[in-house]
Amino acid sequence: MAAPDQTIAKPAVPRRSWAGRLRILAMLAPASLVLVVLYVGSLIYAVLQSFGYAPIYQINEFPTTRYYQEMFTTPGFWRSVWYTFYYALVPTVVGLILSIYLALTLRKRFPAKGLFQYVYKLPLMIPYLVGISLTILLFSNGGIIARSLHAVGLLDNPSQFPRLLYDHSGVGIMIVYIWKQVPFMTLILYSVLLGLGPESEEASATLGANRWQTFWHVTLPQIMPAIITGTAIIFAFNFGSFETPYILGGGFPNTLPVEAWRAFDDADYSRRLYGMAVVTFLSLVSGVLLYLYIYWYRRFERQRGRS
Amino acid sequence: MSQTPLAKPAESGKPRRLFSAEGLSPFQRFYLIFVAVAVLGPIIPTLIASFAFRWAWPDLLPTEWWIDARQTATTPLGWDYVFSPFSRLYEATLNTLLIGGLVTLVCVAISLPAARVLARERFRGKSGVEFFLLTPLIVPDVAVGLGILLIFIQLGLAGSYTGIILAHLIPTVPYAIRVLTSVFQGLSTDFEEQARVLGAGPLKTLWYVTLPMIFPGIVAAGLFVFLVSTNIFLLTFFVGRGQVETLPTLLFTRISSGGVLDPISAGITLITMIPGIVLLLITERFIRDEVFAKGFGG
Repeated sequence: MAAPDQTIAKPAVPRRSWAGRLRILAMLAPASLVLVVLYVGSLIYAVLQSFGYAPIYQINEFPTTRYYQEMFTTPGFWRSVWYTFYYALVPTVVGLILSIYLALTLRKRFPAKGLFQYVYKLPLMIPYLVGISLTILLFSNGGIIARSLHAVGLLDNPSQFPRLLYDHSGVGIMIVYIWKQVPFMTLILYSVLLGLGPESEEASATLGANRWQTFWHVTLPQIMPAIITGTAIIFAFNFGSFETPYILGGGFPNTLPVEAWRAFDDADYSRRLYGMAVVTFLSLVSGVLLYLYIYWYRRFERQRGRS
Repeated sequence: MSQTPLAKPAESGKPRRLFSAEGLSPFQRFYLIFVAVAVLGPIIPTLIASFAFRWAWPDLLPTEWWIDARQTATTPLGWDYVFSPFSRLYEATLNTLLIGGLVTLVCVAISLPAARVLARERFRGKSGVEFFLLTPLIVPDVAVGLGILLIFIQLGLAGSYTGIILAHLIPTVPYAIRVLTSVFQGLSTDFEEQARVLGAGPLKTLWYVTLPMIFPGIVAAGLFVFLVSTNIFLLTFFVGRGQVETLPTLLFTRISSGGVLDPISAGITLITMIPGIVLLLITERFIRDEVFAKGFGG
């Protein structure tokens, strides 16, 4: 997604007849209605409930901050926040590095490249749950990797294998994210690289820059907007992801989405309002983090005089 | 983002040098092999696991196979169970395809006019609309999922196909609008204007000129939406309330208790991969990487 070029003056919005305006509205209406009613509606409803508005359960304490106070004082809540952040950030960074290198490598010509273009995209096309299944099979204590280590004599019994799944270390969760998301990030970066063409890099090399200097000063700045967009999407996704930490995480306290679901799934309906407070907090933190990230990036680009 | 035609150009003019690996360092060669193994490698033990009956620590291969065990078993084992009505696999596969198909139809139908307006018209609040369409990428699914579930419980839509299809529209409509907007941007208005000048009405122009010209783009957007819909777990799981089973929710129920991967779960894992593999084969042929990346927010 290219940033709008601010040096070009925007043409004025044309004056329109009522019929013309109505036509635009009518064409936007079906999609907008669906999104506004379902998406904005559900978010507003979640926020209202988190402040105590839930007539369906005969609860109406609106406005109360009771559920937020309860949330902030729940033991383990801040650890939960930390796990959510940590499991989201590490795979984003590790995945980015792997993806940049893969995208750069993909530009070269190599045998069976056409086939490889199919292969590397596979994780992108299948549900996270498949990735979770594969991770269980490979990385559990009695899994294929532990057995292979046993076969070569490095392990005696499963308990010697590091606990990667069902544990707060979150290694299994992060493996699933990286496996699923490297193809996504690579695809974005590779398509940007294809669009750029090799000219500026060739010029840089001709002028005597070595490969690292060319990458750092020529290639990287050009793919930076794509990196920012891609990492923002991936981080936001991981931050709100449910099934991976639910299955592979280490029990209480788990990440915020899992805790929200557990509260929601409780037999006691008033816990649902607590769940709503958790998802509202989650969305707010996610939004603020992404805003700061993009704000920081824009400021950095301005300081470098690039935009 | 540059505007690119959706169809892949014919690659006849490109020199095919299959066996030259110019510029690939040994480490890059190793890296590509590593990626291929990391992606495809796990499928092999999953296949083995699906055909296993007894596969205890520390054996690298099962000591007893399903093929042998099923001869004496009184209840369906392994693949017999997977393909029996007990596993709910047929139901889940049909639901996945049915929901995916209906979501695709509705989503493309409502996204087309919006994309056309966004690509061609300038109006006040346009940048606001564009920003709004990006936000579902950033707002956590779980917040939308819980909110919508509550609304649907009140409307009686929880646990219904309608509820799930409506929920699937939330992440898919923004995708479809982004892809289709770039399709309309790549289409010059000349042909439509000519049709109008030659006397065709708006409907005739739409049917005989616009739609045929953007058809490849519609197919690309449709495949995309279908792909996203078949991969959705959270919204189906929350809104479906266990009453509507799709492949992802079926797999979730099998593996959410943790532990090791049993043969039936391994079989269902493999089946759950099939729609993605088929779509990969189709999309790689018909959709350019740039357009593909755009759909994902690139």
